[in-house]
Amino acid sequence: MPGEILVTTASERSAAAVAEIVVPVHERGHGGVALLLTVAAIVAAVISFRAAIISSSASDSWQSALRSEVKRSAAAMEDVRSLYQSELPIAVRILQARIVQAEMLAEAQGQSGPARQALLQEADVQGQIITALSSSSELATAPQYSLPSGGLDLAKRLADLRATYPDLLALNPDGLETTGDRLAHEAELTILALVPTSVAAFLGVLAQPFRRRRMMLLRLGALALAGGMAMFVVVQVVS
Amino acid sequence: MISPDSAAELRAERRFDLVVAVLIGVIAVLAAILSAIQLDASQASTRDNLQAARLAADLSARIAVSEQAIDSGLGTQQTALMLGIESAAREIAGLQNDDASTSAVGKAQAAAFDKLRAALTATSATTGGQPVDSYTAGLLNATTQQLLTELAEQNRQVDLASAAGAREERGVLGLSVLALAGVLTGLAAVLREGRGGRLSLSAACAMAATTALLAVLAFV
Repeated sequence: MPGEILVTTASERSAAAVAEIVVPVHERGHGGVALLLTVAAIVAAVISFRAAIISSSASDSWQSALRSEVKRSAAAMEDVRSLYQSELPIAVRILQARIVQAEMLAEAQGQSGPARQALLQEADVQGQIITALSSSSELATAPQYSLPSGGLDLAKRLADLRATYPDLLALNPDGLETTGDRLAHEAELTILALVPTSVAAFLGVLAQPFRRRRMMLLRLGALALAGGMAMFVVVQVVS
Repeated sequence: MISPDSAAELRAERRFDLVVAVLIGVIAVLAAILSAIQLDASQASTRDNLQAARLAADLSARIAVSEQAIDSGLGTQQTALMLGIESAAREIAGLQNDDASTSAVGKAQAAAFDKLRAALTATSATTGGQPVDSYTAGLLNATTQQLLTELAEQNRQVDLASAAGAREERGVLGLSVLALAGVLTGLAAVLREGRGGRLSLSAACAMAATTALLAVLAFV
C-alpha cells in the first residue's frame, strides 16, 4: 500500500537522522582527534618558544651593535681629540720655534754688531722653547712623524694612537648587525612553521563534528602537522 | 522512534557544535598568522630603532671629529699668519726707527713664515690619510653633503620604526581580541545551544572577524 510505503520511508529517514546526530561514546577516530590536537599544541608551543629565543638573540645582537657603535665612536673621538687638541698645538709651537730659530741663525750669518746679537738672542729664545716643550711632544720629536717637507705626519701619529688599543680598533658593529639580521630572518622562518601546525589543529577540530570525513580530515591534519614539523626542523638545520 | 521536534533540536545542536569547531580552528589559524606578523613587526621596529640610534651616534661622531680637524687646520694657519703679521710689523718698525736689529729679526721671521705656512699646510693635508683606519678616516673627512645624506637616512629609519611599531600594535591588539574570542567560544561550548550560547558564539565570530581585519591591517 502507498501509505505503508510512506511510513516506512519516514521511519528510515528518522533512523538515518538519529544515526547522523546521536554521537556514540566510543566512535572511530575520536582518539585520533585528541592525539592530533595534543601533538599540534605541543609542536606549536615548541615552535613559539624557539622563535622567541631566536628573536631575542637577534635583538641582543642589534643591541650589541649599538653599544659597539657608541664605544667605537667614543674611542675614535678620544684619539682624535688627544691628537688635535692636546698634542698638535705643542707640536706646532715646537715646529714654529725650530723654523724661526733656523731662520734667525741663517740671517745672523750675514749680519754683524747689534743686529747679529739680536738675531742670536732670538734664536736662543726659540731654542729654549724647543728644549722646554720637546720632552712633552712625541709628535714633534719622533723622526717617523716628520714629513720631508718639514711638516708633521698626523695620519701616522693617529694610526699609532689608535693601535694602542687594538680591541677598540677591531670593534665591528656592522658584523653584529648582520648577525642580528640573520637571526631575525631565522626567527621569522621558524614562526611561519606555526601556520601549517595551526592548519593541522583546524583540521583536527573539524574532524570532531564531521564524523563521515573524520579519517580524511585527520590524515590531512597529520600531513599539515608533519609539514609544520619538517619546516621547523629544516629551518633549524639550515640556519 | 525519535520525534520530529527532538530530531530538529539535535540537528540544531549539531550545527552549533560545527560552528564552535570551525571557530576554534579559525582562531588557531589566525593566532598563528598574527604571531608571525607580530614577530616580524616587532623585529622590524627594534631593528629600525637601533639603526636610527646607530646613525645618530655616527652622525654625532662625524660632526665632532670632522669639525675638530677643520678647527685644527684653521688654528695652525692662524699661527702661521700671526708670525707673518709679526714679521711685517717688525720690518716696518725697523725701517721707521732706523733699527737694523729689528729689521733683521723681522726679515728672518718673514722667511720663517713662508716655511712654517708650507709645513703646516703639509701637516693638515695628512689628516685622514693613510695609514689611518677607514672608519676614523671617514669621521675626519666627512663632508656636509655626507652628513646631510646620513641625517636623511636616520630620519627615514625613525619613520620606518614608527610604522613597524604601529603594525606591531595592531598585531598585539589582534591577538588580544582573538584571546577574547577564544574565551567566548569556550563559554559558548559550555552554555551549549541556547540564548546565552548563541550570543556568546555570535560575539566570538564578530571578534574573530575583527581579528582577521586587524591581521590584514598589520600585514599591510
